Amino acid sequence: MKGKITRWVLVGLGVLFIALMLLLPLAAVLVYALRQGWATFLSAVTDTYAIKALQLTLLAAGITLAINTVFGLFAAWAITKFRFRGKQALTTLIDIPFSISPIVAGLVFIVVFGRIGWAYPLLEAWNIKIVFAVPGIVLATIFVTFPFVSRELIPLMQASGSDEETAAALMGARGLRIFRRVTLPHIKWGLLYGVILCTARALGEFGAVSVVSGHLRGKTNTLPLHVEILYSEFRLTAAFSVASVLVVIAVLILILRNIVEHKLKREERL
Amino acid sequence: MYVELKDIDKRFGSFQASDGVSFGVAKGKLIGLLGPSGSGKTTILRMIAGLEAPDAGDILIGGKRVNDISAAKRGVGFVFQSYALFRYMSVFDNIAFGLTVQKKERAYIKERVDELIRLTGLSGLEARRPHQLSGGQRQRVAFARALAPNPHLLLLDEPFAAIDAKVRKELRSWLRETIGKVGITSIFVTHDQDEAVEVADEIIITNKGRVEQIGTPTDIYKNPATPFAAEFIGESLIIADYGRLHGFEKLPGFGSAVLRPEFVRVVKPEQEPYPHASQRGTVAEVLFRGNSLELSIDVSGIRLIAYHSLDGDVFQPGDAVSVLIHRLFLLGAREVKKTENASLQNNTAFFI
Repeated sequence: MKGKITRWVLVGLGVLFIALMLLLPLAAVLVYALRQGWATFLSAVTDTYAIKALQLTLLAAGITLAINTVFGLFAAWAITKFRFRGKQALTTLIDIPFSISPIVAGLVFIVVFGRIGWAYPLLEAWNIKIVFAVPGIVLATIFVTFPFVSRELIPLMQASGSDEETAAALMGARGLRIFRRVTLPHIKWGLLYGVILCTARALGEFGAVSVVSGHLRGKTNTLPLHVEILYSEFRLTAAFSVASVLVVIAVLILILRNIVEHKLKREERL
Repeated sequence: MYVELKDIDKRFGSFQASDGVSFGVAKGKLIGLLGPSGSGKTTILRMIAGLEAPDAGDILIGGKRVNDISAAKRGVGFVFQSYALFRYMSVFDNIAFGLTVQKKERAYIKERVDELIRLTGLSGLEARRPHQLSGGQRQRVAFARALAPNPHLLLLDEPFAAIDAKVRKELRSWLRETIGKVGITSIFVTHDQDEAVEVADEIIITNKGRVEQIGTPTDIYKNPATPFAAEFIGESLIIADYGRLHGFEKLPGFGSAVLRPEFVRVVKPEQEPYPHASQRGTVAEVLFRGNSLELSIDVSGIRLIAYHSLDGDVFQPGDAVSVLIHRLFLLGAREVKKTENASLQNNTAFFI
C-alpha cells in the first residue's frame, strides 16, 4: 500500500516536472510562432536568410557527422581492442568537450586561427579563412560533438571483448573484413544511436559556433544564430517561427532515437 | 618432434610468464598443458599460435622456425576458452569463415562444412545463431570452425571451462575420440588434473612459468619428478614429520613427504597381517563419499586420510585401527624420492 503511494507520488512529480520544464515551453514556442497566423509563420521560415541558415546548419551537421563517426569508430576501436600506454589519458581527453563550456571551445579557435591566433600568418599566406567563415563553424561543431559516437561505442565494444576479432584474424581475415563481418554487426545500433545524438547536438550547437561565426547574415549564420539575431531585433514572431523548425527537427530526432534505443536494447539481450 | 619450443622466455611487465620453457610434441599426439592459474600455460599456447611473441627462444612447427610468421599463416587452429564464436553469424557461416577468407570455391566450402557438421554431430543446427545453442554445442562449433581450414595443429584453451560439470565428462571423451579420428596434433590447456589425465596422451606440467615434468599420465602419477608435480597430481597430503610414520626414516635434505590416500591401508587391529610394519591410530572422522568412505585417522599426532571400501569393516569415530603405509614421496628442494615402507620390505624378505 505504502509502496503504491510512493510510486504514484514519484511518477506524478516526474510528469509534472517534465510538463512544466519541457513540454510547456516547447508548446509555447509553437503557439507563439503561429500567433499571427500561418502566413507570417511561413514568410519567416521561408525568408532567404532563414533558408541560408538552415542550409549552413545542415551542411555543418553533415560534415561533422561524417568526420565524428569515423573518428569515433577509430577512437573506440583503438581504446577497446588494443593495449597501449596512455590509454586512460586518451579516454579522458575524448570527454573534454562534454565538460568544457562551448564558449571556451569557440575562443580556443579564435586564439588559434583568428587574427590574434598563432596560425593566422600561415592561413593568411595560403589565403584560407577559418574564423568568421564556414570552416570555423564546422570545426567548432566537430569539437563540441566529437565524444558522442565514441562514448556510445566504447562500453559496447568493451563488453564484447576482442576474442571474436582475434579469432577472425587468426583465420587470416584482414582489418576491413573483420570490421564488416564481426565488429560492425555488433555495434551497428550503438553506432547509429551515437550518430543521432551527435546530429541533434550539431544541429542545435550555439555557444562555440556563436564565437567563431561573426554572425554574417546569409554567410555564417546557422539556424540557432539566426533565431538569436531575430530575437535581439525584437522580431519575436519570426524568431519563434524559426525556433519551431528546430523544435520539430528535435522531436523527429527524438522519435528516431527511441526506435534505435529499442533495437539496441533488444540486441543487448543477445 | 612436430612442435618444438626451445628456451622460451616471456615477460609481461614484472611477471615472468615463461622461464626457459622447452618441450617437444610428437606428430599426432594429444598433449595436455596442466598447471595452476598463473603458471604460464595459456601464454605458451598463445605463443605457439602466434598471438603473443616470445622475448627469447625459438618455436618450431613441422621443423620450421615460426617466430616471425604471423598467426594467420602458421596453419594453426585455435579454440578459445570463451569459444569466441561470431555471434551475428549462423553455425554454418561460423564454420565456413576460415574457408571464405581463403577464397575457396563455394561448392568446396559447402562440402567441407557439411562434413564437419556431421563429424561434430551438429546436423540440423546449421542456421542457428550461437546464442541459441547449449554450451556443449557451442564448443563443438568452435572446434569445427578451428578444424575447417585443415590446420596441422590444433590448440585449445581450457576447452571445458565454460561447460556444466555434468556435460563436461561426456564432452571429454567425445573430444578425445574426435581428435583421434581426425588425427591432428593437438595441445590443450587445463588447470583440472582429472581432465588432463583423462584426455591427454601426454601431460606437460607447468608452474611459475617453468615446465616441471613431461610424461604420460601414468608415468607422472607414479613417478613425479619434482615436488610440485608430486603435490599437484593426485590427492596429496603433505606431512612434515614423516619420520614418525612406521617404516620410514627422515632423510636429510627431504623436509616433507607427500602421502596419497591410496598409499594407506586401514584394518582392525586384530586383523593386521604385518604388525611390525604398521602402527596404531584412532579414527577421527568418517565421511561418506558415494563410492567409498573417507577416513581421517590420527597416527602419532599426524592426521592422515585414507579411503575405505563400503563393503569392508565398519569404523566409527574413536575406533582404534591399524594403519599400514606402503609408500611416500619424499620432497627435496628440486627432487622427489619415492620410498617404500622399510619394515614391510624386510618382512617380505624374511618370509622368502
